Amino acid sequence: MSGAREMTPARLVRRLGFWLAAIALALWSLAPVYWIVVSSISTRIELYSVPYKHWIPRAPTLQNYVDVFTTGPKYRAGGFLPSATLLYSGVRNSLLVALLAAACLSLLASLAGYFRGRSFLFFMMLLLVPLPVWVSLIALFQLMSVLGLIDTRLGLILLFVSYGAPLYVWLMQTYIRATPRDIEEAALIDGASRFRALRTVVLPVALPGLVSVFLVAFLTVWNAFLIPLIFTNSEAAQPLTVVLSLFIGQYEVAWEAMSAAAVVTMIPPILMALFFQHYVVRGLALGAVQ
Amino acid sequence: MRRIRSEERTAYLAILPVGLLLACFVYYPAISTFLMGLTDANPRVQGLEGSAHFIGLRNYGQMLGSGEFWASVWRTVLIVLMVLPLELAIGLAAAMILNEQFRGRAVLRTIAIVPWMLPPLVNGFTWSWILNGDYGALNGLLYQLHLVTTYHHWLASPSAQLFWVAVAQVWTRFPFAMVVLLAALQSIPQDVVEAARVDGARPAQIFRSVTFPMLLPAFTVALAVEFIVTFQIFDVIWSLTAGGAAGQVINPFTKAVMILNYEVVFRNLDLGLGSALAYLILVLSMGVGYVFVRMLYERGA
Repeated sequence: MSGAREMTPARLVRRLGFWLAAIALALWSLAPVYWIVVSSISTRIELYSVPYKHWIPRAPTLQNYVDVFTTGPKYRAGGFLPSATLLYSGVRNSLLVALLAAACLSLLASLAGYFRGRSFLFFMMLLLVPLPVWVSLIALFQLMSVLGLIDTRLGLILLFVSYGAPLYVWLMQTYIRATPRDIEEAALIDGASRFRALRTVVLPVALPGLVSVFLVAFLTVWNAFLIPLIFTNSEAAQPLTVVLSLFIGQYEVAWEAMSAAAVVTMIPPILMALFFQHYVVRGLALGAVQ
Repeated sequence: MRRIRSEERTAYLAILPVGLLLACFVYYPAISTFLMGLTDANPRVQGLEGSAHFIGLRNYGQMLGSGEFWASVWRTVLIVLMVLPLELAIGLAAAMILNEQFRGRAVLRTIAIVPWMLPPLVNGFTWSWILNGDYGALNGLLYQLHLVTTYHHWLASPSAQLFWVAVAQVWTRFPFAMVVLLAALQSIPQDVVEAARVDGARPAQIFRSVTFPMLLPAFTVALAVEFIVTFQIFDVIWSLTAGGAAGQVINPFTKAVMILNYEVVFRNLDLGLGSALAYLILVLSMGVGYVFVRMLYERGA
């Protein structure tokens, strides 16, 4: 909005309309998140009051967070699955699986992305990109059972890496292709091996791409639900999304506890939006339109 | 010569781990699942030890002839038809707002991207709490604004459930459309817009005859991607209307194709039929996605 020019009534109306639209966009995007956060720090009495008017809690409390991490069974469906550590193990599993899968994907993607177009295998991988996990789900379940990988974090990591690989190899390759060829050639002529050239010359230049791959992979794995829903069934491997779905009771939901658990699940994605927006948005958008 | 050889070997070595993983966990199960779709495999009928029989394309015939399948396709299409226009409209409006220069632009951009970053499962849960008939925020807000006099159960009717599933999906996905359209808006050369303005065109005219045509390729990309994403909707429905808790009956009113697929395989254990259904969904969603892409190329983008 160029504001320096003279304010005619028409311009004033246009400007007012613009700000109304901008505020509406902010409200639409943020209000649901705000409501969950408010729910998570409200007392049950305030939250369940009718008609509701505690949009800013009068007595904000962190008790829901304490409860949800320590007295799990109180909030479980009918209390028939006692587990005070359910949320704790969810955080642990989500963090471990997302971090390790993202690390593996970054490593494999830089290796394979660097040697793109050099072999038949690479074309096969490109061919595979549109294949979603659910067309192989049934045989995959049997395979994972035979291998003893059901309900293990290792199994989840293997699946996320396998199904993510084509996308991230492609993504990494678009970044590596942008690095200047001649620096790399110079290093090779000086007697560096391919791997050494990759490590010392290409990767530093393609680092933003690597960061992007790591963050997008982390976020995708953290947010995933279908794969862990099918391939996990206990605290040994269930990530936060699956734990959260278990909080939806058959007869009732303890919304203040549920909200606290949801806020915990939302923290890494929101941190990414705040601090790494550039990397993540670019990576996600590129990956989607591929 | 030797140099090339060793290079070739390093290249294979670098790609080998990915290739092995793909062969093992993607290729093999995909083919094997397809083959299972040609059998009557069902552990409930044959027992865990029993063997399935080859029955050709009968599973596909059974699926294509079943009312349940077409009902779920219809529900999915309804969701897609609600989501795509709403999402692209909101995405375009948001992109046009962010295309202006104003104070707080970076903050607004960050805020608008948040819903896309969150797990879709959590978004479905968030909306189910907002829409809760006893204590939900929507009731509280509308009551306080004197727009309603009693609390409503927003998810009471089947059509309302589909509608709110679409709203939650739009909320989750509109930032994607926004990002794609914003990139396209920013690549429009300013002198073209300026020239139209100098010629006395009004903003609405400029939008219709200059901006919009230049946005069309980006629109097509967003449409194709979002069609495939929405056709395969699962997480949002699971936490918003499907019922959720283990062992619970799956809500029939929002049974989109992916939910039906889950039910056939993991509740009914009808593995043969489920495999066939998975490939039918793939063909349906990719087929229409392919049509969008063809449209895109024919426009010369």
